[in-house]
Amino acid sequence: MPIYEGYGTITDKLTFIIDIGAAYTKIGFSAEFAPRAIVASEVRCKNTNQVRNIYDYKDKEDLYDLLVEFIHLLYFKYALISPKDRAVVIVESLLCPTLFRETLAKVLFYHYEVASLLVVPSHLVSLATLAIDTGLVLDIGYTEAVAIPICHGSPVLHAWQALPLGSQAIHSHVKTLLSADNTGIQNISESVLEDIKEDIKVRCCFVTKRERAEKLRSVSSDIAPCPSVVYPLGGTKSLNVSGKLREMMYEIFFDEDLDHLCISTMILNVIASVDVESRTLLAENIVLIGGTCMAPGFKARLKAELYRQLKNERYSKFKNIKTIKFHTPPAKENYTAWLGAAIYGATEIVSMKALSKDQYFKEKRLPDWWSNLKDVVRSI
Amino acid sequence: MAYIIEQEVVKYVCTCGLLKPISKLYFCRYCLEVRCGFCVCHEVDSHFCEKCLENMPSAEARLKKNRCGNCLICPSCLLHLSVRAATVGPKNPEDPKATPRKVVYLHCLMCRWSSRDVGIPDQIAATGGWPERENVYNVRLSEIIEWYKSVVLLEKQQKLEKDKKKQRKYMSFTDKTGLTAEMIRKRIGLTEPPNPLLKTKAKPLEGAIAKEDVEELPDNIFTQPIKLNEITTVQQRLLQPEWQPVTVDKLFPIHKHLSVKQSLRCRSCEHNVSKPEFNPNSVRFKIQLFAYYHIPEIRIVTVEPLRAGQPAELLLKFINPTQHQTVVTILDLSSMPELIQDDKCSADTSTDDELKPIEKEPLSLSLTQSASLLHTTLSRQPSFTIKPRQTKQQVGADIEIPAANFVLPPRDDAAEFDDSGENYNFNDDPRLVKWRKSNKAVIKLQITPSTDLNLGDQVVVGFVMQHIYTNTIATSVEKDKEPQKCQHKIRVFLSLGNLLGSSE
Repeated sequence: MPIYEGYGTITDKLTFIIDIGAAYTKIGFSAEFAPRAIVASEVRCKNTNQVRNIYDYKDKEDLYDLLVEFIHLLYFKYALISPKDRAVVIVESLLCPTLFRETLAKVLFYHYEVASLLVVPSHLVSLATLAIDTGLVLDIGYTEAVAIPICHGSPVLHAWQALPLGSQAIHSHVKTLLSADNTGIQNISESVLEDIKEDIKVRCCFVTKRERAEKLRSVSSDIAPCPSVVYPLGGTKSLNVSGKLREMMYEIFFDEDLDHLCISTMILNVIASVDVESRTLLAENIVLIGGTCMAPGFKARLKAELYRQLKNERYSKFKNIKTIKFHTPPAKENYTAWLGAAIYGATEIVSMKALSKDQYFKEKRLPDWWSNLKDVVRSI
Repeated sequence: MAYIIEQEVVKYVCTCGLLKPISKLYFCRYCLEVRCGFCVCHEVDSHFCEKCLENMPSAEARLKKNRCGNCLICPSCLLHLSVRAATVGPKNPEDPKATPRKVVYLHCLMCRWSSRDVGIPDQIAATGGWPERENVYNVRLSEIIEWYKSVVLLEKQQKLEKDKKKQRKYMSFTDKTGLTAEMIRKRIGLTEPPNPLLKTKAKPLEGAIAKEDVEELPDNIFTQPIKLNEITTVQQRLLQPEWQPVTVDKLFPIHKHLSVKQSLRCRSCEHNVSKPEFNPNSVRFKIQLFAYYHIPEIRIVTVEPLRAGQPAELLLKFINPTQHQTVVTILDLSSMPELIQDDKCSADTSTDDELKPIEKEPLSLSLTQSASLLHTTLSRQPSFTIKPRQTKQQVGADIEIPAANFVLPPRDDAAEFDDSGENYNFNDDPRLVKWRKSNKAVIKLQITPSTDLNLGDQVVVGFVMQHIYTNTIATSVEKDKEPQKCQHKIRVFLSLGNLLGSSE
């Protein structure tokens, strides 16, 4: 270890917290209130000079190389610490593929020689930011929306619900709507379109109210959509983003499919599959995390949708649920899970429950999350 | 250096199995092995600010969250902000004697963003004192962290006590002798001193309360046209994770993020292969064991048109970078059997074994010093080396291995300017060595592209270069001893170009 690293002045150990999301990775240190950096989860391939998302891996070896490259970037460009002999906390979704988490552990232990690794489930730790132990956590990220209820500090995994509704679905919807509007999007190259889709979504679109959405959809609508926006493209060209597109963009989240599945029914299905006592409690403790939840008006619309669905005959058994309440975590939605892990990382849990290097080399695999955490979490 | 932009046509095989050009390889003089950026241990050496080139001790960098105290960047376009001076009227305009005051504000020369746009008050001193923003949830979050800490600590304490009770079932040696301080304390009836952290029992924290009313969309969003240049982009928002401002009037200047110098360490012998100088102004190295300075460099001079099944002449230039004479022998790829065999068995067995760490003795340094002197965090855990992976490079041409070897004289900087005497009396095989000048030699090889290749395929040849490496470390310690010489082998792959059609 270099001599310049100041030992003695600051004695507390620094724990590195990584939350690798499908689109953005949040990194920072334990006991801090916000991540140091939020960076896109992609690396530039040195041979082909292409930018690749780390989830677009071909096989195990490919993923290993991608992660080595990416984590090197995180340590030496953003965190500026040596990875060797330091503890790491990883935030992961409970639905994370085994291949990914195993490879990630392998990269961290073999290539970066970290001292210990603690893997925490994102839904559970998000509740730590609120200091509550029961709640329904809905994570709408880039690829999917996952709802998992947490009852008394323990995730009720059998009640999970997931739908492929996330930013990715929105982005592909942007393209469909833009070409339907005949804005000349066909003439724009694919790479440019990739870059602007997210920007159009974030800067122009919002989640409209239900009544407006219904009226706008009908042919003879008597209301005018919100004003359209002229989106500049590369200096000379421009793209007309219509008002209808701006309002209707997020409707795919609330359109029920053939199985009556959408974001709102997903939540109610989760509530339906837990025990009767917890149902009211969960409905009154809904926590939204994930960057896609940050769309303006999303929470209000979701609330309205939930109330509307409750009137539906299918959910007539939910007579007891009178109110639906949302939590407001002391953080932005896109880093709430990271913040929860930072709180966990500040405690002794890291030294008590983390998987140490020696243990890992003995076992050669990463234990599943429940065997690692269930007893700790319950006591909290 | 031309190496940075040049196409990678001559690739050496690193000890870890990756193919790299010589400019990206290191040579560990202690293990006498080639290393690359992938198989060495990277370490953060020193922190510095890119803009003001000021060094920052790592403790300070940690306190300042890896940000420079003086330099600020534009929140809008991420370029450096410059400090601008302006004069404003005196405090009391009625006073005729009052002189105009000088104030400074921040200004971006690129996008013309200025600190006045967002209402940051002008400062009197140019060195800063710019207002810092605090996270609005600071108080609540520190309460939560304290509470969680105490909960976990309590649990740890309980677990320890549980363990203690368990132990009591069996009489241990210390129990018998009653020597532990704990036992004595118990005997004289003193209770255990509680953990200082537990003493200040954190008051029970109230969980957050969910609310039914949520933020509704403002009504004017349906009627008011939006101005795109007043809404921030995702990149601008993510630069300030704590605030993520939605409109540009909430963009605040950001302290410049620091950069680091890295030192690289060989994972099998723990010696540095590259260590930069501490000073951020300096681009030199304290230690630089680049392969470029130790291993003969190979360049392709010419190659005859490559046609499947037809022999072609390949001229290669070898350059000796060291101060010692070396003998280069070209061998067949199969002459490095130990490595290739290793690769095979790792590929055959289950994939989990391929990354098996090779056990190593701990460093002698940490053994000789007593454990109490060395703080656990101060002592470096020895690294382990990862088994090399199999090289996947396919060879598309046969190479006629020359029987003779050839000598490369030491590098002599003065000889570069000496055009006169060019008579070397090395007993060169004239069929092999075509040309010589100081430490360089051009040799001729016969290659035959394989008939399996398709038209337009890249033709790759590979061979093992064996050269005599003179180790200079031993001589510096023991003067009278002869410099230690050893045969070093390295696999080399050359991409010669695409296969052409037949000449007829």
